[in-house]
Amino acid sequence: MTVVKLRKTLRQIGRLLAVHSMLDLMLMTRSTAEFWIWAITDTIMNAAAVAGMVMLATRFHGIGGWSQPQIIFMLGFGAFSKGMVNLLFGYNVSAISRRIGRGQLDHTLIQPQPLWMAFLTEGFNPAFGLPTLVPGGALLVWSLAHMQFHSGPAWWLRFVGYMFCSIAMVIAFQWLWGSTAFYAPRAAEEINSATSELMEDLKTFPLSGRSPAVRDMLLTAVPAGFVAWAPCAALLGVPGGLHPMLAPAASAIFCGLALLAFHRGLAYYQISGSQRYSDFGHRR
Amino acid sequence: MTMQSTEMVLELTNVTMRFRQRQRGTDLGSILRGLVSPVFKTVTALDGLSLRVARGEVVAYAGANGAGKSTTIKLCTGLIRPETGTVSALGLDPSRDRVKYVGRIGVVFGQRSELWFDQPVSASFNWKRVVWDIPDDRYKAMEGLVRELLGLDSFYNTTARELSLGQRMRADLGLALLHEPELLFLDEPTLGLDALAKKQMLNIIKHLNEQNNITAIVTSHDMSELEQLAGRIVLMHQGRMAFDGDFDMLRREFSDWRYLVIDTPGAAPVLNMADYIASDGSRHSYRFNTAEITVAELLARASAQQQINDVETHRPDIDEVIAGIYEKWSVGSPADQHVATKQTETVHPSL
Repeated sequence: MTVVKLRKTLRQIGRLLAVHSMLDLMLMTRSTAEFWIWAITDTIMNAAAVAGMVMLATRFHGIGGWSQPQIIFMLGFGAFSKGMVNLLFGYNVSAISRRIGRGQLDHTLIQPQPLWMAFLTEGFNPAFGLPTLVPGGALLVWSLAHMQFHSGPAWWLRFVGYMFCSIAMVIAFQWLWGSTAFYAPRAAEEINSATSELMEDLKTFPLSGRSPAVRDMLLTAVPAGFVAWAPCAALLGVPGGLHPMLAPAASAIFCGLALLAFHRGLAYYQISGSQRYSDFGHRR
Repeated sequence: MTMQSTEMVLELTNVTMRFRQRQRGTDLGSILRGLVSPVFKTVTALDGLSLRVARGEVVAYAGANGAGKSTTIKLCTGLIRPETGTVSALGLDPSRDRVKYVGRIGVVFGQRSELWFDQPVSASFNWKRVVWDIPDDRYKAMEGLVRELLGLDSFYNTTARELSLGQRMRADLGLALLHEPELLFLDEPTLGLDALAKKQMLNIIKHLNEQNNITAIVTSHDMSELEQLAGRIVLMHQGRMAFDGDFDMLRREFSDWRYLVIDTPGAAPVLNMADYIASDGSRHSYRFNTAEITVAELLARASAQQQINDVETHRPDIDEVIAGIYEKWSVGSPADQHVATKQTETVHPSL
C-alpha cells in the first residue's frame, strides 16, 4: 500500500468514525427520558456484572492465590475490555450473527467500502459506549491504588497491548460462532447472545490452581481465560500464570480462525444468498 | 428511453442459479429420517438467462412470483454469484469488483430501507456522503436536486421511523441517487404506495432517465406502472426469459383480444362473435378475439342492425394481458411450450 493510499484510507476511517459518532450522539439525545432510563439500567447491569466477584474477593481476602486488589484489577480489566467492545463494535458488529441471520449483510455489501472498513467503523458508538468504561475504569484505579505497584510507561504499553488482545479475543470468539448464521440463519441468529453471555460469565474466573481440565477448556474451547485472567496474571506478575506471549498468540490464532470462518461463510452466502430478511434492529 | 446508446451497461450471459429446498414430511418417521438423511429439491431460479441492457434504457423486469426477478437483481448488485455463466455490469464483475462497482450503481429495495431508522433523513444523507466519499460540490448539487425533485424538504429533518411509506420511499430513492449512479436497480419501488405517491415516483425516475441518461432496471407487479416507465419489458417465467420487447409487441404476441365500443342511437346490437360487456347510454362495449373475427366483420354485422355514429377499438390494458399470460402458464397451455419448464430433481446431501 502506498503512502498516499494509506493516508487516504486513514482519513476515510477518521471520517467514518466521526460520522458514526454523530449518529450515535443524535440517537442518544433523541429523548431525555430514554437517555436517563438507559443510563440507569446500564449502570445497574455493569455494576451487577462485577458485584458477585467483588463481594467474594473482599469476603475471602482474595481468590486462588490472587490478593483482593489483584482480583479487583482482573474484574476491572474484564469490565473495561467489555466496555471497549461495546464502544467500538456496537450496532451488531460484535453480535454479527444477528446481521447475518436477519439477512442484513446485504446492506453492508452494497456500500462501496471494504467489509473490514465497514465493520471497523460502523459499530463505533462513543455516546452509548463511553459510560460502559466507567465501572471497569473505576475498579482498575482502585485496585492499582491498593497494590503498591509501580506502573511505568512500559507497563502501560503492555496494558494497552493486552487490552487490545482481550478485545480481539472477544470479537474473534463472537465471529467464530456468529459465522454459523451463514448456514442456519434462523437457528443461529441469536447465537452471539449466548456466546457473549458465556464469555462474560467465565472471563473473570480465576484459573490459577484450577484442575488442568478446567483450565485447558477455558483456554481452548471457550478461551475466556485469555480475556482477563491470562493478561492480568502477566501484567501483575502473579505466579501460576501463562507465558506472557501466549495471550497475544492465542488472540492472533482465534482472529485467524474467525476470519477464515467468516470468509467461508461469506463465500457460501454469495452462492446461496439469504432466504430470510428481517429489518429488526437494523440501524435502530 | 432517451439517448440510448449501443454501449452495454449490463450483460448476463447464460446465467444459471439453482437453490436447494429441503423437503420434509410431517410424520415422526420422516422427521427423524430428515435429521440423518435430509432430502432436498433443487429449484432452478435462473435457467441459462442471457440479457443485455444498453446505456439509457429503462427496462421493466417482470414475472410472476418465483420467476427469478429478485435473484437477477441480487446477481446484478453483486450480492450473489452465478453458479454458471457470467455477469458483467459497467465493465466490471459485480461480485469480484464489489467495492468499485457498487459505488457506481444505485439500489432501492421496496421492502428494505437504507435509511437510519431513528435518525432524521438528513443524517442518512450525510452518512451516505461520507461512506460513498462524495465530493462536497457534487453532494450539494445532488442533495439540492433530489430534495427538490422528490419534495423532501417538508420531512428532511424528520426521523425516518415517523415518515409515511410514500415519504420513506421517496427518501430512499433520494438516498440511492445522491452519488449519481449510472445504473439503477429498483426492486418493487412503488410497493404499498398510494396513487399519487406512485405517480410522483414514476415521474422522478422518468425525469432522471431523460435528464441524466440513467439506466434503470425496474421490477414490479404493477404492469400499468411499468408500461408508463419503461420502453422495454423483459418477462421472466420459471427462470427463463419468456419475452423481451416493447409493450405493444407483448400485447400482439400474447393477446388476440380487443375491445370494441360503438355508439348507436338505439339498443346494443347483438354480435354473436363478440362478448357484450356493458352499455353506457348510447355507447356499447364488446370484447372479441381477433383470431376469430375482424373489426370490419363485426362492424358490418352491427351496421346491419343499427346506424353507427362512432366507433372505438382498443387493446386490453397490460395488467389484463399479463394476468392472461400467467394464467396460461399456470395451467400449462400451449403458450407454455415456448418457455422453459422448471427443472427439479431430488438430491441428497452428498451431492
